[in-house]
This record gives sequence, structure tokens and C-alpha cells, in this order.
Amino acid sequence: MTRSRETAPRFLNLFAIRFPVGAIASIGHRISGVLLLVALPLAAQALERSLRSEAEFRALLALRASPWVSIAIAVIAWAIAHHLLAGIRHLLMDLGVGHRLATARASAWFVNVAASVVALAILVACLWSGVAS
Amino acid sequence: MRLFSGQRAWVLQRLSVLLVLVLLALGGLRLLFWPAPSYEDWRAFTSSAHGAVLIALFFGAIALHAWVGARDVVLDYLHQRALRFAVLLLVATVLVAVMTRVLFALGGQIA
Repeated sequence: MTRSRETAPRFLNLFAIRFPVGAIASIGHRISGVLLLVALPLAAQALERSLRSEAEFRALLALRASPWVSIAIAVIAWAIAHHLLAGIRHLLMDLGVGHRLATARASAWFVNVAASVVALAILVACLWSGVAS
Repeated sequence: MRLFSGQRAWVLQRLSVLLVLVLLALGGLRLLFWPAPSYEDWRAFTSSAHGAVLIALFFGAIALHAWVGARDVVLDYLHQRALRFAVLLLVATVLVAVMTRVLFALGGQIA
């Protein structure tokens, strides 16, 4: 027991490691996961508020018009999109799909870019609904 | 804290996330192809037996998935025993609080 504890790999100084595209997809998966865990209580609170009354339901929907809330929504949208896409990529690799280096690099690029595009689109949509209302 | 570890945790994390994926896809399709739900639609859905069960399952599956994921992250990056324990305890408390809140919100609908 002690031996395995001493020889087990330890996690390292993250700033001293080079990050190829797959590593960025991978660390993004962890960062987005932690973000989503932090946001989960907000989701429970939103569920509760949405059921309290029609006024609360509407107030909750109207929140997205505020610029700060728009940014928060975009960050959460990035986290959801990245976590989903990178997670599906990992699940496919568990099944042996796309684990060769060239495919893995291409899918990592796709995950990183697509999640950013989703976040930007949501940000624009939220800010637009704020301007329009 | 050894609430799920090793291969059992690995399997649990993947099974729970498959349920999350299915429910997210259903919710996404609903929002894409039907008009945005009104307050009445939302109340009707959340107070129906199937709606309440689906929402509770959604949060429950996320909580299980998040527990295993958070545990992996904590064990990889935090090495001090006391700190590990404190953070894991905090995560567990948050997840239990989230589930309690969700179940009370849904239960208040049905009662």
C-alpha cells in the first residue's frame, strides 16, 4: 500500500508542461466541469424561482437582457458546450473511435473551436435581446 | 471518503451522463421545434408525474456524474489530506443541498 502510494504518478506543475491541442481540449473539459459544478446551485435556484409565480418566471427570463448576466450565460454556455463535446469525444475514444493521433487532433480542434463559437453566438443573442427590449 | 471509486465510479460516471445526454437532447428538441413554454406549460410539465420524475432524474444523474468528476479533480490536484477532505465534504454538501432544493421545489408543485 505504502509502496504504491510512493510510486504512483503525481500531478505536476501545470505551468511547466507544453499544451498541444488535445491537452487544451482535455484541460478545458476539467475546467468546464468545475464551472458547471459551481453553477449547479444556480440551476436549482432557477428551477425553484421559476415555479414560485408567473411574475418570478417572467423576471427570471428577463434577466438575460442585462449585460452582466449575458456574459455569465455565455460563460456557462461555453462550459456546457465544451464539456458535452469533449465528453462525447472521450466516450467515442473509450469505444476506440477516433483515437489515432491525426483524428484526435482534428476532433480536439473541432471541440475547442465549436465551444467558443457557441459561447459567442449565445453572448450575441443575449446582448441582442437586451438591446431589442 | 470512498463514496464510489475505481472502475465502479468510472462506469457510474458514464452511465449517469448517458441519461443526462438523452434528457438534454429531449429538452433541446422541445425548445427548438415548439414555441417557448409559457408559465402555464412549465407548471403543467413540472407538476405532472413524468415531468417531475424526469427533472429529478436529470439533477440526480448530474449530481452523481459531478461527484465522480469532482473527486477525480480533487485527488489529482490536492495532495494535503485535510484539504482534500474539506473540499470533498464541501462538494458533497453542495450536491445534497442541490438535490434537496430540487426535490422540495418539485414536491411543492405536486402537493
